[in-house]
Amino acid sequence: MGRRARSGVPGRIIRSVLNGQIPPPGLIPDWLLDSAAGLFSARAGVTPLTAIERVITTIRHREPDHVPCCPLVIGASRRLVGASFPEFALHPQVSAEALMAGFEFVGGEIIVPMLDLSVEAADFGQKMIYPEDSTPHPDYSDPLIREAAGYRRLRRIDLQDAPRMSSIIEICRTLVKRMGLKGVVCGFSFGPLGVLNMMRGAQHLFRDCMNCPGEVMAALETITGVLIDFVEAQCDAGVLAVTLDTLFASWNGLSREMWEKIEGPFVREIARAIRKKGCLVAVHNCGHGIYFDSQIRCMEPSIISFAHLPDDCKDRRELKIRYGDQVVLMGYVDTPLLSSGNPFDVLQECRRMIDDLAEGGGFILAPGCEYPPNLHLDNAVALVRAARKFGRAKGART
Amino acid sequence: MNDARQRRGILAKLERSIGDPGSSDMQEWLGRALDIRIPADDLRFALVRGMERVRHRLMSSNFGLPEFLVSIDSVLDGLSLISDQDNTAISPDLSLVIGVVKGDPHDLGKNVIAAVYKAYGYRVIDLGRDVSSLVFVESVIEHKARILALSAMMSTTMTGMKDIIREVRSVCPATKIIVGGAPLSEVLARSYGADSYVESALTVIEKTRAMLGMDPGYSA
Repeated sequence: MGRRARSGVPGRIIRSVLNGQIPPPGLIPDWLLDSAAGLFSARAGVTPLTAIERVITTIRHREPDHVPCCPLVIGASRRLVGASFPEFALHPQVSAEALMAGFEFVGGEIIVPMLDLSVEAADFGQKMIYPEDSTPHPDYSDPLIREAAGYRRLRRIDLQDAPRMSSIIEICRTLVKRMGLKGVVCGFSFGPLGVLNMMRGAQHLFRDCMNCPGEVMAALETITGVLIDFVEAQCDAGVLAVTLDTLFASWNGLSREMWEKIEGPFVREIARAIRKKGCLVAVHNCGHGIYFDSQIRCMEPSIISFAHLPDDCKDRRELKIRYGDQVVLMGYVDTPLLSSGNPFDVLQECRRMIDDLAEGGGFILAPGCEYPPNLHLDNAVALVRAARKFGRAKGART
Repeated sequence: MNDARQRRGILAKLERSIGDPGSSDMQEWLGRALDIRIPADDLRFALVRGMERVRHRLMSSNFGLPEFLVSIDSVLDGLSLISDQDNTAISPDLSLVIGVVKGDPHDLGKNVIAAVYKAYGYRVIDLGRDVSSLVFVESVIEHKARILALSAMMSTTMTGMKDIIREVRSVCPATKIIVGGAPLSEVLARSYGADSYVESALTVIEKTRAMLGMDPGYSA
């Protein structure tokens, strides 16, 4: 967390402040961030903090007035502006409008402009399907990479020729400007193996990881070059952090050893590029039994957003003890609960989660994965309400 | 006595060839077994035991889906080779229709589960992905399926399961329905009217057999 880019640092900080935005935290000395977090935490018992103060206090592992919340209302926000899924995915002005509407309607402190997981693959040339009533996805019957020999034929693309990634950058820019100091914008990129999965299909990709890992890694190298450009452009747009989705570092993907060998070196490079820009690295992984330790080793993230317990923790108290001082934990309200539970169920589950994870700071309440895009927003509102109502660690609650 | 020992040795090697990177090729041991005319059922059970071992290594950090897929390929190849010699299936009466619900393109989970069912001797009718309610109903009727297995990987598509389950129940009330997929849970599955919910290939056979009121162990 303490690494920072030195060149032009004062200029960038001043520019951000003059624009009414948060400077990249990696450019601010640790002692200053810690002092600020300490002051905010002390003040938290007396007066409410602003969203930014709350997030800074949390990421420096101090207790804020209540835990911040990232309700991950993404596709669901489109309904607030009457947009269809294709309109939300393909028109950056509509997406930004919808995401802001979601933020203003539901609340919370953090917004993530992750439209769908096919953004990067689409720009590489993967044929896509944009259903009216569901999230866009690749046309898996027509994969871009049809055989193992195709990995080395994948060509690097320029962001100028990448309309969907360019849209995300534009959305980041718009949201950062419109959010100002009201909240935090956190960028997003699918990890290189995830992008490759969208262009090859999971079954073929997994077999290729066994049979011809060198070919797979050749494609990952090409993709990584583009993703570095992508995350750097998001950082330049003013986001506080960029999230890397590394789903396959879990029981739902590769073994720990294979993931560290195949995707690990590439996400390390992407994470390094994010930090070099002064932004925080966040990781999102909604798999079962995710490899916290491997991902921390490879990416040194400040935040890990997760949907299930890591492979080496039997319950969330153990998770807090083992990893609570290394990363900010973000999660992990169950999607089925959000889908089938009522707001009261959600409030109660959030309360239990806060009791187990919020002590000492370093916890952001969030769904384990994107808030179900076709679901009513009652449970998202309950999530934010829970953060406000129960969001102080048990001992500090009055 | 020596023959019996040799047979046991070959069956053990055949079993270990599944999912064990240090062990010799499955085809080599199967070839040797066929040469000395080990009964087909013994060979099938050796492969299924290998599958059983591999399946229980799932949901661990040192055995991922790539290893599992390659192991399944190996078992299915082996079963196919055995069937060329003797086409009696282990459980011919267990017919099962499986598919991914309408609008959902994600079929990895379904394919893994279908392959596991095949390896355990179920007669699998795989309808693929993006399958409409009507096609599920027609297929269950046509194949007199004892089991319908539904998969959905998106919260936007999983709600389609409710209609499929209702329609299948109305025409084939005896068919047992099991569902799975990332956004689902036991509670949600029950609320949709399913008989059972399965989280992964690790427990699918046990859950299916329990749903059918059978002994939880595999049919071998």
